[in-house]
Amino acid sequence: MYKTQTIKEKIVERYSSLVDNSDQFTNAVKKPLKQTFRINSIKGDKDKILNDMRNYDASIKKIPWCDNAFETDLTNLGSSIQHFSGQIYIQELTSMVPPLIVSNIIKQKTVLDCCAAPGSKTTQMAEIMNNEGHIIANDARHGRIKSLRGNLDRLGITNTTVTLRDFNSFPNTSADVYLVDAPCSSEGTIRKKNAVARKWRQHDYDRFSKLQKNLLKKACEMAPKGSTIIYSTCTLAPEENENVISQILDEEDIDLKKININGLKLDNGVTNWKEEDYNKEVKKCARMWPHHNDTDAFFLARMEKC
Amino acid sequence: MLKLIEKEKKDDIIKYCLERFGLRQKNLERYHWYEGSKNRIFIGPEKVKRINPESLGLCIFRLDKTPKPTTNFIQLFGEKINKNYIILNKTETVKICKGENLKKKIDVEAGFVALKYKSISLGCAHWNGEIIKNQIPKSKFCNINFL
Repeated sequence: MYKTQTIKEKIVERYSSLVDNSDQFTNAVKKPLKQTFRINSIKGDKDKILNDMRNYDASIKKIPWCDNAFETDLTNLGSSIQHFSGQIYIQELTSMVPPLIVSNIIKQKTVLDCCAAPGSKTTQMAEIMNNEGHIIANDARHGRIKSLRGNLDRLGITNTTVTLRDFNSFPNTSADVYLVDAPCSSEGTIRKKNAVARKWRQHDYDRFSKLQKNLLKKACEMAPKGSTIIYSTCTLAPEENENVISQILDEEDIDLKKININGLKLDNGVTNWKEEDYNKEVKKCARMWPHHNDTDAFFLARMEKC
Repeated sequence: MLKLIEKEKKDDIIKYCLERFGLRQKNLERYHWYEGSKNRIFIGPEKVKRINPESLGLCIFRLDKTPKPTTNFIQLFGEKINKNYIILNKTETVKICKGENLKKKIDVEAGFVALKYKSISLGCAHWNGEIIKNQIPKSKFCNINFL
């Protein structure tokens, strides 16, 4: 077990060779994250909700690259009337990115969210889909399903089926989009609370990498031709990111697609790490570094089944 | 286990929604309706074959002697409810969100009512002519600091 500061230093040291500016990276990792939230337009008009909130919070600022996302200086929005009534969802900015990159293709469609709890991305997709189409939100752990169910209820989500299964044994299900937001070492969340400090272990990279590959492989196997598969983690470790994608590219019939979001700085995937070379295509993956957009760290890959 | 709801039950609920809350049928038409355990009624997407759901859609009613709307239902359709709702002030809203009942003189028919703060739908309560009895689930109770 390490103290938070030590882990921050270790993470900075481990990845400083990958970043464009290691001083900025170091400073960003040390800085606490601001609270961010998303407006849930299923429960009312966005501008009206925002005006109501500005009556007690003058610090609210819009996030330029995401229409419904805002940041605030308040730290306890969970005790606001908007949170109680499901008009807002407190969510990290990085977590809003996977639904954003499929926002133009999920309306009226079927989405399989393989590791859905606690439901930030599920509820965001449901909102983008205007509560129509169908989301199958799966998670393998009973305790986490409870929080997923609670969030779906609070946000008024009606287009979602919740399933409790190990995704490796999930029945083959045809969908238009598969979201594999895989369990990971969570290094990317180092700027918030002590979550990483409690769990971080060097040897977790291998354990998570195997788990992630199995989940993604299962999604690729059941995906019909032309469907989209999104893989995301909140870790910086290439072992859990490019390494997983590289192996899948070598084994499955999929194409990797470049990711672009207006106003959001995304870095390319890395093609080698610790003397290991990955499939050159993994450059098309996207890395979010904390110092580029003042967020957590995050990794994304968008694939299409051939 | 969820099963598709019988047509008569669905029609009864739709009729109740119109008569009690002024909620028109068109707002409820696009959903698939199911009945689950403990007489709970859900609206949601079409059931997928081979998938055994843990839950599906949103629980909107519980059928007892009369239909009982859920807080989920009131919060989702609150904007369209134009009958038998009660507008609360700040102090009352804080009390209701904490789980308390309210004593208040109001002019609505006895039965289930929708609670609102300004235009924000808070949840379900029962009005018996004297007391607004809180029907918000315990799991949602919260100390509200910002409103």
